[in-house]
Amino acid sequence: MAVILETLRLRSLLAFALLLVAILITFFVVGGKIAPAPTTATSHIANICVANLTKMDAILDPETCNRIDSIKDAESDPRQIRADQIVFTIRFPHQGLSMSRWFQFVATSIRLDLEHDPEFHYRKNADGSPPSLSFKATLAYRNKQGPDSHDWQSMYTSLQERPLVCEFVQSQSDSNDGYYNCEDIPFFEIGNVYYEEYLVNVRLPSLVKNNQIGKITDINFVEIHQNGGFTKVWFTLKTVVAPVSILILIWFAQRVKKLRRDSLLLEKALFCLGVVTAFMNYIRQGLFYGMLMSFWVIFAGEHLVDQPERNNLKSYWKQVGAIGFGCLSLLIFDLSERVFWNIRGKRAAIPTMSRARQLQYRGLIYRFEFLLVVTILCAGLTVVFFVISSVNEAQWKFGEEESTVEISSALFTGIYGMWNVYVFSLVILYAPSSAAPITDDGSDENERLELRSRTEVRVSAGETEESVVYQFTGKSARD
Amino acid sequence: MTFCTCRFTYFSLWQLQVINIVYCFNRSIALSGSSNNFISKGSCDLVGKQLNHRQLQFCRRNIDVMNSVKNGASLAVSECQHQFRHRRWNCTTVQFERSPVFGNSANGGTREAAFVHSISSAGVAYAVTRSCSEGNLGRKCGCDSKYNGRSEKGWKWAGCSDDIDFGIGFSKTFVDARERGRKSGSPTRVEMNLHNNNAGRMVVKKFMKLQCKCHGVSGSCNVKTCWRSLPNFRKVGEHIKEKFDGATEVELRLIGSRRVLVPRNEYFKPHTVYDLVYIDHSPNFCNADSDTGSLGTRGRVCNRTSQAIDGCELMCCGRGYITRQEVHVERCSCKFHWCCYVRCQNCRKRVEVSACK
Repeated sequence: MAVILETLRLRSLLAFALLLVAILITFFVVGGKIAPAPTTATSHIANICVANLTKMDAILDPETCNRIDSIKDAESDPRQIRADQIVFTIRFPHQGLSMSRWFQFVATSIRLDLEHDPEFHYRKNADGSPPSLSFKATLAYRNKQGPDSHDWQSMYTSLQERPLVCEFVQSQSDSNDGYYNCEDIPFFEIGNVYYEEYLVNVRLPSLVKNNQIGKITDINFVEIHQNGGFTKVWFTLKTVVAPVSILILIWFAQRVKKLRRDSLLLEKALFCLGVVTAFMNYIRQGLFYGMLMSFWVIFAGEHLVDQPERNNLKSYWKQVGAIGFGCLSLLIFDLSERVFWNIRGKRAAIPTMSRARQLQYRGLIYRFEFLLVVTILCAGLTVVFFVISSVNEAQWKFGEEESTVEISSALFTGIYGMWNVYVFSLVILYAPSSAAPITDDGSDENERLELRSRTEVRVSAGETEESVVYQFTGKSARD
Repeated sequence: MTFCTCRFTYFSLWQLQVINIVYCFNRSIALSGSSNNFISKGSCDLVGKQLNHRQLQFCRRNIDVMNSVKNGASLAVSECQHQFRHRRWNCTTVQFERSPVFGNSANGGTREAAFVHSISSAGVAYAVTRSCSEGNLGRKCGCDSKYNGRSEKGWKWAGCSDDIDFGIGFSKTFVDARERGRKSGSPTRVEMNLHNNNAGRMVVKKFMKLQCKCHGVSGSCNVKTCWRSLPNFRKVGEHIKEKFDGATEVELRLIGSRRVLVPRNEYFKPHTVYDLVYIDHSPNFCNADSDTGSLGTRGRVCNRTSQAIDGCELMCCGRGYITRQEVHVERCSCKFHWCCYVRCQNCRKRVEVSACK
């Protein structure tokens, strides 16, 4: 079976490679220059409202409620405000803005600011564990415009208890003075952003509960969502990539169908890989990597040159099962290594073989190594990007010029583009070829060999003369 | 903290615009009996005498932010008093009727003036940022199209920028307008004030806490979102106090065509943007002296057992002190909930109090 990769001229191959690089660069540029950062965080400080004693559970809006500036004011208030009357209210987004369905999700966290008071300090439990904070949270929503505009509607109410971890920082000038640094407490997440405005009410029960948490001055609230612009760019990319990949798949399928034989397992695996990639998205990323690994197991297996024909998924159940099990990286490492050594061992033996066998092996080795190098490159880049995006805080350093490139977005679109380009160039290059093998003058062949010799560790002498023959005999030998 | 009379802060504070606003504004309010807030452009005119032309314009244009400026000034004053509570100069504010008590002599280039400028500028930046996070300024702040070209549409596309940038920008425009709008006055002083104003703001920025959260499949760090939150203002105050202790004495020199502040002692390390600079030596603050703007330490409470600056020896400048017995009523055995409801008993406590002669 000759594949397109083997029958393509060097010039066409180079042009194809350049096209791929250009597509890849486009993906990065779209992410880096057009898309905003993937997510945005907005900090809020809760407004303090005083609930009416007759309507203690009402939803309070900071704009209309009976508001006080600080907890301190509550202590000196002539109305004798009780702790259970205090409601921390947070409205997101800020006034004048509204949420959008493009935001996809909202994740929030809260952090308490505690004041140092020698009489009522934050104290840990007897066993050294942090005291627990109990609070009753209500999430409400409203739409302010359009036919379905309405006032605040309660969405969820929940009584929660979370450990409150704080650390006391002593003042440098006075040992009796200082302040607390408290850790963020994950609050809630919403999986879709359906409404325009949201309101959070937090009430802290007193008397029996919350008597070890010290004196609260503020509740800080952070709201994180996916940027609308990022969602739009992401969707656009997928909308463009999906039809292209489906077209390529159809082309591949037809090509295989035209052959006067049943499709090989390798072809089936390649087709599956293409299908999974075409429908890959954020959530199914794991599926993609799993399929990629399975494809690799089959690809590597089919290129084991010293064993009988397989072409049967059953011979790979172990590997595929193991992949499904999750030992992905170990397995691929093990297999790559084993197959690689097997192939290199064979290459050393090539000069002693018959010419026809020699050329068959060389074809296999070339195909295998080409793909191995590209895959390792792509996988390596994915790992590198992943590390960069995890440690990338450069844009968070003050005093530096604001970057005009959104690195994290560029990495997202870039990796997405890279795997798509990878898979579909595989589908194209490893599609069965109907073209006649190359029989041109030797100059092209020389170039072609130069390219090959870069991936091959050893190039034996006299290959130039053999290569034309290889094309013929290799093909006939396989046929 | 409430201020009902128009007061001027002791020493060089009288020249410091933002603080003037707090005190004088509150007086105007107390007189007129209206609510304690900037509510209309008229409020700017009420304090207009304390503002120069640029600031007045700015006040009218940003009336909604002026309450935060006022809060920032109060924050700065109380932090200043906290940091200097044990020193001869304790950042007191003094009563004043018609004109600044301490004339031009207090228009100082001393370390204390440097501190006051720095902390006030920091206080305004802090309070404005805080107000942004509280949502009191609506779409201003990070989403203000005047500041970063982002509108409602921009918010939906890419979110808003950090509130701290707005807070710092506002503090810069408003507080520095005082210096920039000066028609007379020594250029060295102007440079010094601008430098110290900026140093204060930089400290707020430097201490903003960077926090990050990872999201992704089962908590993996697929996407990392970071944000900044305000530090405790005490931390800012403490840092500026440290800078006060290590402030650099400078002079204005012409380097090329630019006037630059350089350390007077050439062997000293040049100051950074975070450091405070001063041009005049401070008086010893022992005796009241209207020329130096010192109130003196007569009557100040001191610590009899301490050898440090809060000890009676140093505080009273060797004039001696009087110790008397006093009975203090204090809260004790309080029953406390996290807020508000404090039930205490009153305990009488006999204490010894020393005060300077």
